[in-house]
Amino acid sequence: MIRNGKTGQMRIIEAILASFIIIFALSFANIFVITPTSPKYEVTELQKLGYNVLHDLDEQALLARFIYNREWDNITAALRVLLPLDVHFSMTLYDLQGTTIDNATIFYGHPETFASSKNIASVTYGLAGYATKINDAYQAIYEPRIVILRLARG
Amino acid sequence: MVSAVYDHLIAILVIGAIFVGAVVVLPTMSYINLQAVDQQQLRNTALNIFNAMLLNTGEPTNWGSIRDFQKNDQRVQRFGLASAQESTFFVLDPDKVQRLVVGNPLNYCDYNKVRELLGLQNYGFRLRIIPPFNVTFLSVSLMGDSLCYKARVSYLDGGPVPNAEASATVVCTDGKDYFNINQSGTVKTNSMGICEDIIPIGISDPDFYTVILRVTVAEVATLIVTSAQTFNNTIARINIVYDTIILTSWKDPPDYNFQPSENVWIFDIATFGSRGSLWKLFEGDEKGNDNMFNTGKGPFERWFRDFVGLRAFQPVILILNFWAVDPATGRGRHQVLITMAYPELLGTSIFEYGGFPYRDDVVVRVQRSVGISGMTYTAEVWLWKESP
Repeated sequence: MIRNGKTGQMRIIEAILASFIIIFALSFANIFVITPTSPKYEVTELQKLGYNVLHDLDEQALLARFIYNREWDNITAALRVLLPLDVHFSMTLYDLQGTTIDNATIFYGHPETFASSKNIASVTYGLAGYATKINDAYQAIYEPRIVILRLARG
Repeated sequence: MVSAVYDHLIAILVIGAIFVGAVVVLPTMSYINLQAVDQQQLRNTALNIFNAMLLNTGEPTNWGSIRDFQKNDQRVQRFGLASAQESTFFVLDPDKVQRLVVGNPLNYCDYNKVRELLGLQNYGFRLRIIPPFNVTFLSVSLMGDSLCYKARVSYLDGGPVPNAEASATVVCTDGKDYFNINQSGTVKTNSMGICEDIIPIGISDPDFYTVILRVTVAEVATLIVTSAQTFNNTIARINIVYDTIILTSWKDPPDYNFQPSENVWIFDIATFGSRGSLWKLFEGDEKGNDNMFNTGKGPFERWFRDFVGLRAFQPVILILNFWAVDPATGRGRHQVLITMAYPELLGTSIFEYGGFPYRDDVVVRVQRSVGISGMTYTAEVWLWKESP
C-alpha cells in the first residue's frame, strides 16, 4: 500500500518535470521565432535603401566626384537628404589594399546607434575610377575605391 | 525492478517526444510565429505594390494626361505612377500623381478606385511623398530699389544645411504696366543654414513683390519655394495637364445665380522650372478677347492654352499676372498669382494619399527616393491588412 503511494508521488514529480521541460522547450523555441522586428527583415530593407541611394548617386555621376575629390561634406549632405529621416549612416572608404582613405568622417546619427543597434546593414559598392579634366581633355584614372555604407534605424 | 526500468525508459521516450513536439509543432502554431509569417507576407505585398506604383506607367500609359478625365475614370485599366517619357526608373509622372490629389478640379481617382486597380481589396495603404529638406523664409523686405531676403535651409530633423546653393528670382509689379522678373546669382548657406542676398529690382515701393528661391543641396536635391504674399484667390484655380494650362472656376458647378463678378484679363504668364530657368509663356493686354474671362459666369473651365514643351520644361511654379476692374471702385488693378505648377506637390509639405491604419494594425513601410518634375523626393508606401 505504502509502496503504491510512493509510485504515485513519483508519477506526480515526473509530470511536473515534464511540464517544466515543455515550458523550457517553448521558451527555447521562441528564441528562434522570427518576430516582426526581426533583424533579418530590417537589415534587408536597410540594405536595399543604402544600395539604391549609392546607385542613384552613381548614376548622376556624383558619387565618384564626391569621393575622388574628397567632398566629404557634400556626400554627407547628399546621403542625409536622400535617406529617410530615421536612418543613421556611417560611410568608410578603402583602396584596393584595404587602407582607409583619409579617415573620412561621413557619419550621421548618434554614435550609440551603431554601438547598440542589433540591426545594422552594410552595403559594399565599388568604384573603378574617375574622369578628371586635364588640359581641356577628360582623362580616366583607374584608382578603385571600395565604399562601405553602414545603416541603422535611429 | 525490471518493469520499473521499462516504465522509466518509456516515460523518457514519451517526454522526449513531447519535447520534440513542443519545439517543432507548437511554435508553428503560436501566435507570434503566425504574426511573423503575416509580416513577411505583408512585406512582400508592400514591395510588390511599391514597385507596381512607382515602376509601372499604368494603362493607358498617359492616363494622367487624359484631357477630359472623369472622377475614377473607367478608361484607367491599370494603375502606375511612372513617367512613360523617362527611361530612368523611379521617375514619376506629375500628371499621374496629380490625379491622386483629392479635390483636383480636373478630377482624380479616389482611394477605393486605386485599391481596386491594385487588387488590394483586403489591404489598406498610404502613399506619402516627402520633400528632402526644408526651406523657410526668415524675412523679405524692401530697401530702396532693392529687395533683401533671408532664408533658412534645414534637414527634416531641423539641423542646418551648410553650403546649400540658393538663387533668388524676384517678381514685382507696379501700376498698370510694370511687371518685372529679376534673377540673382547664387549664394551659399552659412554654418547655421542661413542664406541672404540683396537683389536690385529697378523700382522702389512696388505694389507687389515676392521671392522665388531655388535651393540645391549637394547638387542632388532641389527645392523651389516662394515667399508669396498670400491673398484670397477667387480669380481661378490654376492647373497643368501635360502641355496645357487650364484655369478653372472656384465654384463647381459654376453658380450662375451668383452675381457675375469682374472681367479678368491675363496679362502675363511665366513659369519657373526645376532647372532654375524662367519661361515667359504669354503676354496679353486688356483689349484681347482670347485672354479674357469672367470670374462669375461661363463654363467651369474658364480658360486654357497649350504651350508646346511645357511638360519637358519641368515647371514648378507658375506666375500669372491678371488685370481686372474692381467693381467697387471702377479702377483697374493688377493681381499677381504665384502658384505651384502641381498643387499639393513639389513644395515643402508632405503629400499624403490613402487610408489610415488602426492603432493595432501591423504596418509595413517601404521607402525610396524618386524624381518628380526634375526634383528628388522620398516616396513611402505604408501597407496593412484590413479585415474583409
